[in-house]
Amino acid sequence: MTTSALPKKHMRISSKRKKERLVSILCTAALVLLGLMVMFPIYWIFRSSLMSNGELYAYPPSFLPPEWRFSNYAETLKVFDYMQFLGNTMTILVPSVIGAVITATMGGYAFARLRFRGKKFLFTLCVGSMLLPSMVTLIPLFLVWAKLNLVNTYWPLILPHFCGGGAFNIFLIRQFVKTVPRELDEAATIDGCGHFKILVFIILPAIKSAMIVVGLLKFIELWNDLLQQVTYITRRDRYTLALGLNIFKGSFNDDWSSIMCATCLSFIPGIVFYLIGQRYFVEGIVMTGMKN
Amino acid sequence: MTAKPMKKMIKYNRAESRTAYLCLLPSIIGLVCITYLPMLASFTLSLFSWNGLGAMKFIGADNYIRLFTKDTKFYASLLSTLQYAGMAVIGSMIYSLIIAMLLNRKVPARGFFRALFYLPYVLPAMAVYLGWKWLFDFNHGFFNYAIKSLGGSSVKFLDASGMVTPSLTLIAVWLSGNLIVIFLAGLQNVPRIYHEAAEIDGANAFQRFCHVTLPCMTPIIFYNLLMSLVSNLQVITPALSLTKGGPGTGSYYMCYMLYNQAFKSHKYGYGSAIAVILFILIAIFTGILFATSKGWIFYEGDDKG
Repeated sequence: MTTSALPKKHMRISSKRKKERLVSILCTAALVLLGLMVMFPIYWIFRSSLMSNGELYAYPPSFLPPEWRFSNYAETLKVFDYMQFLGNTMTILVPSVIGAVITATMGGYAFARLRFRGKKFLFTLCVGSMLLPSMVTLIPLFLVWAKLNLVNTYWPLILPHFCGGGAFNIFLIRQFVKTVPRELDEAATIDGCGHFKILVFIILPAIKSAMIVVGLLKFIELWNDLLQQVTYITRRDRYTLALGLNIFKGSFNDDWSSIMCATCLSFIPGIVFYLIGQRYFVEGIVMTGMKN
Repeated sequence: MTAKPMKKMIKYNRAESRTAYLCLLPSIIGLVCITYLPMLASFTLSLFSWNGLGAMKFIGADNYIRLFTKDTKFYASLLSTLQYAGMAVIGSMIYSLIIAMLLNRKVPARGFFRALFYLPYVLPAMAVYLGWKWLFDFNHGFFNYAIKSLGGSSVKFLDASGMVTPSLTLIAVWLSGNLIVIFLAGLQNVPRIYHEAAEIDGANAFQRFCHVTLPCMTPIIFYNLLMSLVSNLQVITPALSLTKGGPGTGSYYMCYMLYNQAFKSHKYGYGSAIAVILFILIAIFTGILFATSKGWIFYEGDDKG
């Protein structure tokens, strides 16, 4: 009796383990398949950038470039002012990201730690603004900037980011600050630190990763933006990458080889920044917990 | 108010308050000057007729009346916006939940896969749409090659008014990496003991998904639903970069119409009226979501922040 029960139990365990392994193999296979599908458009764009137009228009299309024409890039760079557009884009991005990180950190700290009159009201206003469509503010803001004669400068694209850096980012910082043990603050207070010193010397080092997340989110947001740039910038020498690409597409209508080169070139900075900062992302978003 | 409940009110530390207001100053300026005031200005402006140069003319509700009774393009715009938002929200929610669930299992190279699915989101929108335009190309695009080699006939992805919105939502789904990360974060917060308890009770994987994972995920699903609805109703980039609202009114989304009326035709009042309608539309959807949320959102007992 005992001899027959033992193998049975063993079998049940091993069959369960087998089933689990099968499921995990299936999941991995599904991920690989979906991953290939997601990557495919990027690969197709890249391979198109290395082919001549003649090769691109051939039927059936070849999945690998018959010849790796990296010279396409040199040719494209001659007619596509990549460096200038990239420089212009960075002129907007760098100060905006810095401004957003600093002001969001200050706001998040105040909401997380300090007590003051009107805190609940301000916080509600802040979180509420996440739901308000930003499109609704576009026309009045444009009219004000136009009145100030600042259209076609970068001010309308930079300055707003020095105003809190967006409700979500303030919220994210707040959630992070809340995880820093209060005892540290109290110890610092006893040592004679004011609230501002606490922010700089206690809180900042502890929430560095959150600040990086905010910076990256801001970077992506601006990197993806077309509407604001189209609205405010019309002078060619002030064009950003997105605007430059838009014009380039217009003037090189059927030259898909060059257009794909320009497209790939503008992929690069985003990918580089993402690879540098990607490990902070999930951590940062887990942290907000989307609660409270 | 200040006199009576003085004793019950919390005494605020002066220095603390001062630091707080100082820290919040940029945010307050932002909330007032670039969010709430411009919003009010939009409401006001929508009652005027103004080309930006001459005198503003008060015309009451005329802009709205014209939108709803005379401007035939407006209904088309409303319809295509709703179509886009509906398809993009449903598609990207399902896609990103599936990917997040797969990523939440013990799979090799998880970090790599996570990065991979997020990647499309970090690419600049303009370049993304250009790239997809080439994939969607009628004669030489990859998709039509695939369809033809499977025996179908070529599809006008971006050049047929009925196809353009579904095609663009496919790109939107592809771009939904941020939803994946938020779902993944939510899945990792589902307490493991719930799963273990359900397993001991003999629940299979599907039952565990329906009765443990899904209920625990409802707050995250709600958040993602809300945020993607708000952002997808404001769709404009694909119209701005690729389709210019066409063909016909196939991608003449409300925000694009707003942009066109305000910045191309310089009808700022008329554009503002569209903005206000968009605001109301989003408020209605948000309101419905919040009103029904009590019925389907499961909150864990903890209320610690």
